[in-house]
Amino acid sequence: MARRKECIAMLLAGGQGSRLKVLTEETAKPAVPFGGKYRIIDFPLSNCVNSGIDTVGILTQYQPLELNEYVGNGQPWGLNRNFGGAHILPPYSRSKKSEWYKGTANAICQNIPFIERYDPEYVLVLSGDHIYKMDYAKMLSYHKAKKAECTIAVLDVPKEEASRFGIMTLNKNGSVKEFEEKPKKPKSTKASMGIYIFNWKSLREYLIADDEDETSSNDFGKNIIPKMLADKCKLFGYEFEGYWKDVGTIESLWEANMDLLLKEGDPNFLNLKDSKFKIYARNYAQPSSFIGASSDISNSFVAEGCDIRGKVENSVVFTGCVVEENAYIKDSVVMPNAIIRKGANVKYAIVGENAQIGINAKVGDLREYYDKKEWGIAVVGKDKQVEQNQTVAVNEIY
Amino acid sequence: MEMIGIIFSNIYDNAMADLTYNRTVASLPFGGRYRQIDFVLSNMVNSGISQIGIITKYNYQSLMDHLGSCSEWDLNSKNGGIYLLPPFVTGQAGVYRGKLEALHVALNFLSKRREEYVLLSDSTTICNIDYDPFLEEHIASGCDITVITHEFREEDKGAKHDLVLRADQSGTVTDMAVDLESEQEDYLIGMGMFLMKREQLIEVIKTSVARDLHHFEREFMLRGFRMGKLSVHASKFNGVVLRNESVSVFFKNNLRLAEEKVRKDIFRSDRPIYTKVRDEIPSFYGKDSEVNNCIIADGCKIEGKVENAVLFRDVKVKKGSVVTNCVLMQGTEIGENCTIDRVIMDKNVTVCNGVELKGATTSPIVIKKGETVE
Repeated sequence: MARRKECIAMLLAGGQGSRLKVLTEETAKPAVPFGGKYRIIDFPLSNCVNSGIDTVGILTQYQPLELNEYVGNGQPWGLNRNFGGAHILPPYSRSKKSEWYKGTANAICQNIPFIERYDPEYVLVLSGDHIYKMDYAKMLSYHKAKKAECTIAVLDVPKEEASRFGIMTLNKNGSVKEFEEKPKKPKSTKASMGIYIFNWKSLREYLIADDEDETSSNDFGKNIIPKMLADKCKLFGYEFEGYWKDVGTIESLWEANMDLLLKEGDPNFLNLKDSKFKIYARNYAQPSSFIGASSDISNSFVAEGCDIRGKVENSVVFTGCVVEENAYIKDSVVMPNAIIRKGANVKYAIVGENAQIGINAKVGDLREYYDKKEWGIAVVGKDKQVEQNQTVAVNEIY
Repeated sequence: MEMIGIIFSNIYDNAMADLTYNRTVASLPFGGRYRQIDFVLSNMVNSGISQIGIITKYNYQSLMDHLGSCSEWDLNSKNGGIYLLPPFVTGQAGVYRGKLEALHVALNFLSKRREEYVLLSDSTTICNIDYDPFLEEHIASGCDITVITHEFREEDKGAKHDLVLRADQSGTVTDMAVDLESEQEDYLIGMGMFLMKREQLIEVIKTSVARDLHHFEREFMLRGFRMGKLSVHASKFNGVVLRNESVSVFFKNNLRLAEEKVRKDIFRSDRPIYTKVRDEIPSFYGKDSEVNNCIIADGCKIEGKVENAVLFRDVKVKKGSVVTNCVLMQGTEIGENCTIDRVIMDKNVTVCNGVELKGATTSPIVIKKGETVE
């Protein structure tokens, strides 16, 4: 008998993440740094491994170089397997037609041959732009117990945000009654988290039918799910409780980093220090950090390979950063290998990878001094240089 | 590179007292996130050496655990990698007594390679060295063996040295002494790193076994040199060298990593030091933390005051505690309102609230692995 996998994961990592602006000019969103030493994609990948799923197809399209290199052979997540493991799946040309991934469903559809190699019973569809810890094995047991054809993970969201998501109304038994993608007037607050488990047999049929429908935009939320619902398939909602954040915008990316600094017990606190549910990341042989005598660090995370001599307050400082004397970092996210020169002020800002903030430069400012509409997180892009004494204003994208 | 490596993992075990009670000196934690062997291993890998034999004697479980599949050093490849060489304990021979005798277990490893040269190294020398120019120098010198050395330094006064040498301008050794406690400053001090031809080393091992010789420096080098049968070349390494040959020096050397010159010389981005990945989260510094002049690894949670200290992974220092001049290994937990000065804490030590401990620079207090201090 041929070897097979019960459940494999397909991770949609092709999004450009255009709302992250300069941070994703040359990087796919899943490769954006998060939480001091991680990249966004570490979360779904670690979730898979922690849930016993050892086969993950990673669908890439936009600026895949950095992401491909980061995932590599999957070794940091334990996904370097002889049978299974992590596989990067870019679009490719075939004899009859070549095309880019047109939508989320089309991306999976183009990779039917990959999925069939594992002859899975179930396929877990994930997206690469959310920060959360979730045991998919529990969701799979739920899916099996309900004898569902598709299970969608749902989360209760605040009413005012509901129109940003795919919103569901659920029956008492958990089955999906209605599904609306980004409704103007949401009927409930149960939002789809973009995590689906399908029975492969039925998903395969829907994907092929969807591919032949030229009017379809080949999207799970817009096409596949509504079609399945219309056909009276058994769709269930799996209610998830816990931390989940879409980090698709500058504000939400900044906020999610700040959530790490909250006190334990706060409903928005994301605890990464969990020996039973570790988040894995690729490590880059950095020495331990040096914390100088002139430093003053409070309520902050500082990763390894840093050299800190300035003041760091309520901030997340990533691997390999340098913060010189009299520099002041407050409520900010400083991404890997950034350099903050003497006397520079970085407040309410995101400083991109390898960026340099010159001597006495100013980036961002406190909320209090500004009109609510004017104020926003200041962003310095990847590899950018802010010159000596230069100012990057609040809300500015540099 | 036309060279293979051999590392001795158990030399100086005795000098490290409780710290090597259940580990080899090679796997002794150093510098926040490393084990001592990481340095020589990374130096070899960064110099293009991909076949490395590690000679072990006893207590090498922690070493095996640390090395794992060696993927962190990129040594999990088909055409190279780590060869762990534990002792043959047979009816005739017990566990070996010195490096020369220990090499007997490497005979098979040595004879199966085709590279022309071998680099032999202890595992207690902490430095960042590129072996390439030393091999070139060795070949150019035409000598039988090259010793990599450093100059006599202030800190070497009064210490006992395995091997000291004098050499002429060209580097040819003119005088040699073993186990010397020297005050004289014109000696070069051997770094426990030797280069020679592989075939020649095989010959040396075979002859030594036959004659029951076991001390590498004394019975092979010094003897051969005296008899005029061994030409020795001394190459000088000019970078920073830390040698952890006793508990107090180990203690001092850990703290010396806070010196910029030492740190920048050993940790260079072009030749990184690799170590086992532990997947710890970044370190958290609490609201009232105060950290001055410290080396801090990942996964720590600091809420007290820490000064001139090295904190390994996953160390907790709670509120109101003051930790000065300490080396706290992985998993140490300092309770509230403690005062800790000049202490080495081995892995997973727990210190209860309110404890006061004070050691001395020359003899720091050492708390054994896993102990609870009340």
